[in-house]
Amino acid sequence: MSVNAGLAHVSTDFMIAALLIYSLALLAFAGDYAFGRPRRRAAMLAAKPAADRAAQLATVGAAPASATPAGVVVDGPESGASESNEAQGPGSNATAPAAAAGPGNPIGGAAARPVRPAGAFRAIAEAGPWVRAAATLSAIGILAHVIAVTTRGFAVHRAPWGDMYEFITALTCVAAIFFYYILVKYRAWAIGVFVMGAIVIALGLAETLIYTPAGPLVPALQSYWLSIHVTAMTLSSGIFFVAAVLGIMYIVAERYRKRVAAGKAEPNPLLDRIPSGAQLDKLTYRAVVFGFPIWTFGVMAGAIWADQAWGRYWGWDPVETWAFITWVIYAAYLHARATGGWRGIRSHYIQLLGFASLLTNIFVIQIFVTGLHSYAGVQ
Amino acid sequence: MTDVHSTTSKAAPASEAADLDREATRPFGTGPAEAAESGSGGAPGGSATGAGWGRWAWRQLTSMRTALILLFLLALGSVPGSILPQQGSDPASVTQYFTSHPALAPWLNRLGLFNVFAAPWFAAIYILLFASLVGCVVPRTFKLVGSARTPPPRAPRNLTRLPQSVTYPSALPPDAAVDAAATVLGGQRFRLRRPAAGDAGHWLAAEKGYLREVGNLLFHLSLLGVLLSIALGGLFGYKADELVTEGQTFSDTTAQLAEFHPGRLVSGSDLAQFSLTLDKFTANYINSGASIGQPAEFNANVSYTTTPGGATKTDSIQVNHPLSVDSVKVYLIGHGYAPEFTVRGRGGVAYQEATPFIPANTNTMLSDGVVKAPSASLGFEGVFVPTAYMAGGTTLESIFPAANNPEVSLIGYSGNLGLNSGAPQSIYQLDTSQMTEIAGGPHLMTPGSTWTLPGKLGSITYDGTKQWVSLAITYDPGQIPALVCGILAIAGLLLSFFVRRRRVFVRALPGPDGVGSVVTVGGLTRTDASGGFEDEFANLAVDIADASSPSSPSSPSSPTAGPAASDDHQKPEPNNQSETGA
Amino acid sequence: MVFKAKRRTVVTTAAAVVVLLVAALVVTVFTHGNSSSASDDGNMVAYPAGHRPAAPDFAATSLTGAPINFASYRGKIVVLNVWGSWCAPCVGEGQTLKYLDEEYGPKGIAFLGDDIQDTPADALAFLRSAGITYPSVNDANGAVEQRLAIAVPISATPTTLVIDKTGHVAGVIEGAVTYPDMTTLLNDAAVTQ
Repeated sequence: MSVNAGLAHVSTDFMIAALLIYSLALLAFAGDYAFGRPRRRAAMLAAKPAADRAAQLATVGAAPASATPAGVVVDGPESGASESNEAQGPGSNATAPAAAAGPGNPIGGAAARPVRPAGAFRAIAEAGPWVRAAATLSAIGILAHVIAVTTRGFAVHRAPWGDMYEFITALTCVAAIFFYYILVKYRAWAIGVFVMGAIVIALGLAETLIYTPAGPLVPALQSYWLSIHVTAMTLSSGIFFVAAVLGIMYIVAERYRKRVAAGKAEPNPLLDRIPSGAQLDKLTYRAVVFGFPIWTFGVMAGAIWADQAWGRYWGWDPVETWAFITWVIYAAYLHARATGGWRGIRSHYIQLLGFASLLTNIFVIQIFVTGLHSYAGVQ
Repeated sequence: MTDVHSTTSKAAPASEAADLDREATRPFGTGPAEAAESGSGGAPGGSATGAGWGRWAWRQLTSMRTALILLFLLALGSVPGSILPQQGSDPASVTQYFTSHPALAPWLNRLGLFNVFAAPWFAAIYILLFASLVGCVVPRTFKLVGSARTPPPRAPRNLTRLPQSVTYPSALPPDAAVDAAATVLGGQRFRLRRPAAGDAGHWLAAEKGYLREVGNLLFHLSLLGVLLSIALGGLFGYKADELVTEGQTFSDTTAQLAEFHPGRLVSGSDLAQFSLTLDKFTANYINSGASIGQPAEFNANVSYTTTPGGATKTDSIQVNHPLSVDSVKVYLIGHGYAPEFTVRGRGGVAYQEATPFIPANTNTMLSDGVVKAPSASLGFEGVFVPTAYMAGGTTLESIFPAANNPEVSLIGYSGNLGLNSGAPQSIYQLDTSQMTEIAGGPHLMTPGSTWTLPGKLGSITYDGTKQWVSLAITYDPGQIPALVCGILAIAGLLLSFFVRRRRVFVRALPGPDGVGSVVTVGGLTRTDASGGFEDEFANLAVDIADASSPSSPSSPSSPTAGPAASDDHQKPEPNNQSETGA
Repeated sequence: MVFKAKRRTVVTTAAAVVVLLVAALVVTVFTHGNSSSASDDGNMVAYPAGHRPAAPDFAATSLTGAPINFASYRGKIVVLNVWGSWCAPCVGEGQTLKYLDEEYGPKGIAFLGDDIQDTPADALAFLRSAGITYPSVNDANGAVEQRLAIAVPISATPTTLVIDKTGHVAGVIEGAVTYPDMTTLLNDAAVTQ
């Protein structure tokens, strides 16, 4: 079957549209980061009874009261407690007494009955105009991106990840969807500007530098295993992409906070607003936990496909080897989180090393090292 | 993943309450002795005996930190294996590397960097890693079995010190409230523990999520299974290559196979006894559009027998569609052109064969080859182009990989081909050291033409063009076990990530004025990779509260003792209090 | 007892070296067996009488189209040479085999070739130039060689089998034959229980 050029054009148009909409969402996230969060925090503090607030500040302990890093969950200083959690022991349940439904709930009052967790979309609605705009724009952008990817698939009559351009655009689509998921589940508005920024950059580079016209696949790739193996690698790469962005945020924030605490640097209002290290660490861990099994499955599916195509399920082909290296490094990250002395910033270095290995695999090994895997399609 | 050796229980005041708290919150699945160990290990006991050293060394090996270092080494060690040419997959490139890096290559060779994945130092890394794995996993299996037998710990006295807790009033008396909680938790398949008869308090302990550790162990043991499956294939399996031209047949014997790489315990008589004929090979290329020249389809039609003299079957082998014969698989790996030549010398026909030419460029299929006719003392080096085009009028090039306009250009030699010495020669290379070049070359020929050589040396005719395929024949008994272990590994991974080991405790104290009760529900989870315990706890708390059918929401509660923070510990959204060192 | 960090490092390194040596041993035990390649001058395997594998019977066609029935060779000692005109060592041993044929043929020893992976034109051209007159099976599809390989390990080309009068394989030479090796095998083959 020949390539449907009309649909291919539609795909490219939607891809550019997604890029533009993501850029607008990025602006909205930036607006929230700069203007929306301080307003929310002030409203939160005003709603608490003074006694509760005093109690909270007392138990927050080491966290600097003036520039308390707002939590991922609800931006209020309560997440500062989680940072100094270990010092206080589990007793410091100085959490936001207010439900995510926003200020105005009765808080601090004794003996209220347990209530179910509030819904996510209500939380978005209550979080302010910037967040509402950003969330809506992100959703529309994702829709456009998904349409772009699927129309490309229909244009070429196969799964739309057969060359490097398609792989990158699909990867960023997965990253955007996964980002939206954690945005909503963990109310993580503050990471929006960084993750969406990274997605915009990646997608923009893909469109401008490695765009490949839609074309059929070489016979070696004509197998249903394409749908399975490359899909899994695309999914996990998109998730690891988000984890990497969060890891960079963690490292930047932690180093900044250490320098400020040691008096070596001035507090910077923008950097202060990066979510707390504990929150970022938790989100990164959860992202890797999602991505690692999918990567493992992708490597296995690749091995099954390699056996079908090349006669052996593992031959230390350069791309296979680097997929293995990436797997081992992410495994090291997971082990590091359970090893004394390797938690914290060191584990994030490992995680970023893993993502660097992933990028090396895509951009260096597939293009420059000859092997059975050279299907980049890049001229 | 939980670290067996990590410690999270902080120093607590020496009191029974604190003991209970510590018991309830200590790392799941470990006893107090293990909880005191740290990952870095200490001195090997008070004595310097061999057993002491051995134990210390073993503890070092099975520690998390060693595993981490070995993982790094494994990743690092694989890097040269992907960048430098490797003997196992591309020996020609290795030879080329020696010629282009004459000083560096021998040193790299001594370090084993041209065959990294078979090198002893690489084996040492993964053997150590798996030894560490086994040494860690086996004791944990016993601990898991033990912990599955022991009931959950008693409920701590002060549940508000747990990472998640909720307190609310209930109209039911304490024992009924706890019973109601037990019904809810039991319905959610928690393992329950009630106070023994004669125990004064009303409490309930519940635990769930043992599958998490099962998954963890399953994953690690499955990795070991994969390693053993690979070893199985390495011992009993074999790989072979063969090049077959259209019309040719070969049988699966070591003498007839171009290359044969047996496993350690494999001998020639273990080979499957099939024979295979290449009837026809078709290659289709895209002939228009942006992807012109790209291969669209390869199809090798073959006939084969599974036993000598058995019935002949036909099939087609394509890329991604190997032929399965008698537990052996035959794969289509490569293809090329084999122009047919007839060489005539003084004694008559000296050579008549379709000669495989090897592609130098897989995009255009421009190919090199050699014709050896020793009985006429003639040899030819040739370049074959499937679709000929004379670039600049002088250089022969191929502009399309299909045989639309085949031509061959030959340089002839006459003399001694060197075969009589008996030393092995590549059939794709001509040794011209004892030969003289024949005038008139390079001589361009189209199909059907003849080049009559000067000096009555003879003639060579280009009869036509056939195609050849290269096939890979593999037998790997470890393949299916490796697949099964891989699937089990993923199952174990998912279990260990998405099941959380958690404990929920309920305590009911008599309410104010002896009416009703005040119920406190507390919970903690040791590792919560996927998150969500906060939501689960919040929902459980609501279910338990509903089951205890409380009185009006506005009735005051007597706050239980605890820090100054509010008693009203509702957890409407996830809070990372539970990440105590995880 | 207090352990200095340095001593711990030394012990760890020593342990690592020991394990590395063990691993090297393990790997050499489990690495792949010998791959086949073009053979050099022959390994000879002789089977004592009574322990000789039976050579299979086969019916085939010679390079000139004449029928060959191996069963009809029973009662004679047979030198069966697996060869191809494309194989340099086969070309090299051709003269030796021709000489042996001239010497032992009159004494009743039969010589038969098994020409594999070859075309009749190429093979006949070689035989003509080498002056070899004994017949060879046209085994282009390798069927006869496969049956031989089932009976007796044949690893490469050329391989020469010496078969005794009862139809059992008395010896095998892998690689090009030499006159002394062949003489030894022929004498062994003459001994049958």
